Amino acid sequence: MADFIPEDNRLNLKVVFYGPALSGKTTNLMQLHTLLMPQRKGELMVLETRDDRTLFFDMLPIGLKGSDGLDLRLKLYTVPGQVQHDSTRKAVLSRADGIVFVADSQRNQQDNNAMAFGNLEENLDKVGLDIDNLPLVIQFNKRDMAEVVPEEDLQQRWAQTPWSPLQMASALNGTGVVDTFRVLLDRLYTATDQEFQLADRHGIDRQTFVDRLSAEGDGS
Amino acid sequence: MTMRHFEDDPTLTDLLDPGQIARLEASLAGLGLTQARLAAERSDGALPVEFNLETVAWLSANANRNLVEKAAELVSFVLFFVAKYRLAANLHHDTTEASYAELQRKHEALQESEARYRDLSDQLQEQVREQVDTIQKAQQELYESAKTRSVGQLAAGIAHEINNPVGFIQSNLKVAGDYLDDLEEKLPQDEATRELLADFRDLLSESLDGSRRIATIVSDLKTFSSIDHAEYTHCNINDLVRAAIHLLKTCHSDRQLTIDERLGELPEIPGNPARLSEAFYNILDNAARAIDDEGRIIVKTATDNSGNIAIVVQDNGCGISPDEREQVFDPFFTSRPVGSGTGLGLTVAQDTVRAHKGLIKLESREGTGTRVTLLLPRGN
Repeated sequence: MADFIPEDNRLNLKVVFYGPALSGKTTNLMQLHTLLMPQRKGELMVLETRDDRTLFFDMLPIGLKGSDGLDLRLKLYTVPGQVQHDSTRKAVLSRADGIVFVADSQRNQQDNNAMAFGNLEENLDKVGLDIDNLPLVIQFNKRDMAEVVPEEDLQQRWAQTPWSPLQMASALNGTGVVDTFRVLLDRLYTATDQEFQLADRHGIDRQTFVDRLSAEGDGS
Repeated sequence: MTMRHFEDDPTLTDLLDPGQIARLEASLAGLGLTQARLAAERSDGALPVEFNLETVAWLSANANRNLVEKAAELVSFVLFFVAKYRLAANLHHDTTEASYAELQRKHEALQESEARYRDLSDQLQEQVREQVDTIQKAQQELYESAKTRSVGQLAAGIAHEINNPVGFIQSNLKVAGDYLDDLEEKLPQDEATRELLADFRDLLSESLDGSRRIATIVSDLKTFSSIDHAEYTHCNINDLVRAAIHLLKTCHSDRQLTIDERLGELPEIPGNPARLSEAFYNILDNAARAIDDEGRIIVKTATDNSGNIAIVVQDNGCGISPDEREQVFDPFFTSRPVGSGTGLGLTVAQDTVRAHKGLIKLESREGTGTRVTLLLPRGN
């Protein structure tokens, strides 16, 4: 849940990258760390274990200042995708303000996508969040792989859901990562503005919110 | 130091304890930053140390600003790794606690379900026990009714076979008596002949008595086995008791049984005469075996205003010990030597009384005697 601290005039938001194991959640975050040059950007914290698999989470803090001095912080987290880390997933997911679901485009991973999405619904319910009211973007990653489900099939399959259209990405090459993040920021703005009147009270309009938090650097 | 949520921004004291801060300050002093001081609160000339876009500490030292700036970056670099560990440790702590709570919840649910199954198992065991009891009872009743029927059939056969010969023996003996009268007139009237004839008359009269007794026994046997009656009929309890007493005396003919009959006026009640007779006989037989030659048995029957009937069989015999008293109604329990009792006497009596919706009560004191009371409800 968004956390506003009036004494410091600070607003903390939390976005969680969710999805099946090895779908590229950490890669998404690393690319954001590399590609983005938001107003404020902290250190990327990666807590991976042997074989570069996420055991706890990864975290990247970014932020912007409103015209009235609002200190807006956005912490981006990944969860461990492996089935056995469900209690860790649940702990990281709690109090999330937005979700990026990173699915694997490869044909043989579609069951894992479905199971992970089911697990997301289940865990959101357990931590008291409503999937229908939470800003959520679905990204189909690994478009660069050989055996992937065609985009038209995927778009058609998800057309009737509130999360259409899907975002296509190849996180390893850095394509689609920022676009996905911008869609998420757009949906996150709607929810946050409703609750905290970002535009009226803090002078942060939609354009400022999305652009400043996803400003791209020179890629260096 | 636990925080509210693992991801809450840590403070300086969350990350380093005073000893560690002192050591860090000493190291910085060693590098030339004399009076280096790392604090959570801002002081004049202090530079911010950042973590996660947050100022977690302020560094001041007696050195040029550029050096302090570099030192603040170094401390920030160190704190990043301390925080990394701290965040992971907090998350691990949170998830472990959550998993433990979940485990406990499951454990409780498991215990509850185990308790439910244990209850169910107890209930099933109780049901099985009841079923076994029912089966045992049915088996025993079947056995007893088969026995009663075969005894009845035997008695009926014997009664039929004996009644005829006894009938003509009796009438022949009477006719023989008449012939003796005729002969007396034709025989010489001397002393020896008279004695002979008198003796002859005694023999005939004793024989007639004997055959009358045979006829009575046959009649009792018929009553006892109730071969003349349907299963349930109106029963004259006093008649059944009397028949049982006669049969008892016949069975114990080798000794003198003192039986005091105090039979009151009774209404007829519906019942199975064969089974009731058997019950009375079993109780009387126990009483007879409990007493010695000095002993006596009192048999009382009475009725209350409503027409319910009480039958009391009381003896002043050896009595029953408290241990044995608890078992007297158990099937196959017997205090007699192997082969001389079936252990079913009182069990059958109890079953019969219950089948008639009545009660059976046994009171006994060792060395003083035993009293068995049967209560049978009046018919509708």
